[in-house]
Amino acid sequence: MPGLRLLLVIIVSVTLVVADQHYDRLTPVRSTLATGLTPVYWLGNAPYQFSDWVVSLFTTREDVKQENEDLKARLLILERRALKYAALASENNELRRLMNSSELLDDRVIVSQVVSVSPDPYSHEIIINKGRSDGLQVGQAILDAHGLMGQVVQTSQVTSRVLLVSDSSHAVPVEVVRNGLRAILLGTGDSATLDLVHVPDTADIREGDLLVSSGLGGRFPRGYPVAEVSLINKEPGEPFVSIQATPKAQLNQSRLVLVVFPPKDGVPALPTSNNNQAPAIDKVPGGQG
Amino acid sequence: MLSVISYPVFVLSVLVSLVLSISLFPVGWYEFRPEWLGLIVFYWTFRAPAQFGILFAWCLGLLLDVLEATPLGVNALAMGVIAFLVFTIHQRLRMYPMPQQCLMVFLLLGINQMLVHFLKQMLGGEDAGFSYLWPALTSALVWPLFSILMDNINRKMG
Repeated sequence: MPGLRLLLVIIVSVTLVVADQHYDRLTPVRSTLATGLTPVYWLGNAPYQFSDWVVSLFTTREDVKQENEDLKARLLILERRALKYAALASENNELRRLMNSSELLDDRVIVSQVVSVSPDPYSHEIIINKGRSDGLQVGQAILDAHGLMGQVVQTSQVTSRVLLVSDSSHAVPVEVVRNGLRAILLGTGDSATLDLVHVPDTADIREGDLLVSSGLGGRFPRGYPVAEVSLINKEPGEPFVSIQATPKAQLNQSRLVLVVFPPKDGVPALPTSNNNQAPAIDKVPGGQG
Repeated sequence: MLSVISYPVFVLSVLVSLVLSISLFPVGWYEFRPEWLGLIVFYWTFRAPAQFGILFAWCLGLLLDVLEATPLGVNALAMGVIAFLVFTIHQRLRMYPMPQQCLMVFLLLGINQMLVHFLKQMLGGEDAGFSYLWPALTSALVWPLFSILMDNINRKMG
């Protein structure tokens, strides 16, 4: 009798695995189960919130005042920068309009909190507390204050699962800021290094170069910092250089992240003929990136 | 074998083990996290084989699949196999002294981890050497405490 049940369980499991790997039919099942498990995610995050709360109990008024002043000073600096940025952005938009090209400079973002880290040490995933009810969709980019963190791979009603750029199954199309050299940045399974692959031996790339997302996969918005080249190793006889990069985002530390929404139906209408094409290219679903 | 089974304790233990599976472990030490859900399946099939068996273990494994974002069915299959093995040896297991029970926990949860990693690798995961056996070892180490604690709670509540 138990043998029969075991056989049944094995058959059902194998069917499930195959169905889950090769067809998308099980996505709703998984997301329903994940929605049902929301209390578990919630409770899993509770100890951290509790410790935050305890820490906040023991902060003195002076510390809070000091922090408040620091933050105000920082805000002032950033506001000044934003002022300059606004002027530059409008000028840039104007120039782009003159050149008949269309591109949105600013993306719509919402702030979200990391509620859980994947329990599997071999996969780099986090869970954030925004889901379908906030309009999130699979494929959206996730940033922190320093750079690109990853992308949404699964949504439930109130939480979403984010694959980080350091996961070994993740790839981002990037370009070097200095000269626009394009390449693909792969995750390695180590959260401190990423691999820049298929860069020819003769390419102009140096240690310290900033890599930003190129937007060519159609999945990530263009121009967000992703990583900095940290190590270049030229092997004589190899056609490609082996290049390592350090992610800009603090993949292990960030508690607050930004979810980027793709521009709604491209851009506001511009009086040019080719503005229909640019957003269309953007919608092509990217490969891995 | 337990004389009385307290269903609230059962539900609570499952919930707590699910929460523990995703929380409360220092960063960088995830490798060594005991397989809490595996322990729960082991405990309940061992103590109450008439009530909890393969199908229940399978359902719990499915929940773990969702929590860990593994392909649906991987952990479920491994949990079902564990429940089956515990079921076949539960009468002998009761005669074993504690160290031998710990050894069995290590072996069975090791089989569980091995199955999970075998399936994951077949589906394109990365090879992590033998470090995936750590959870089986830590689970075996916490088993004496865990089983005594669960027995006590059961006796009080049941």
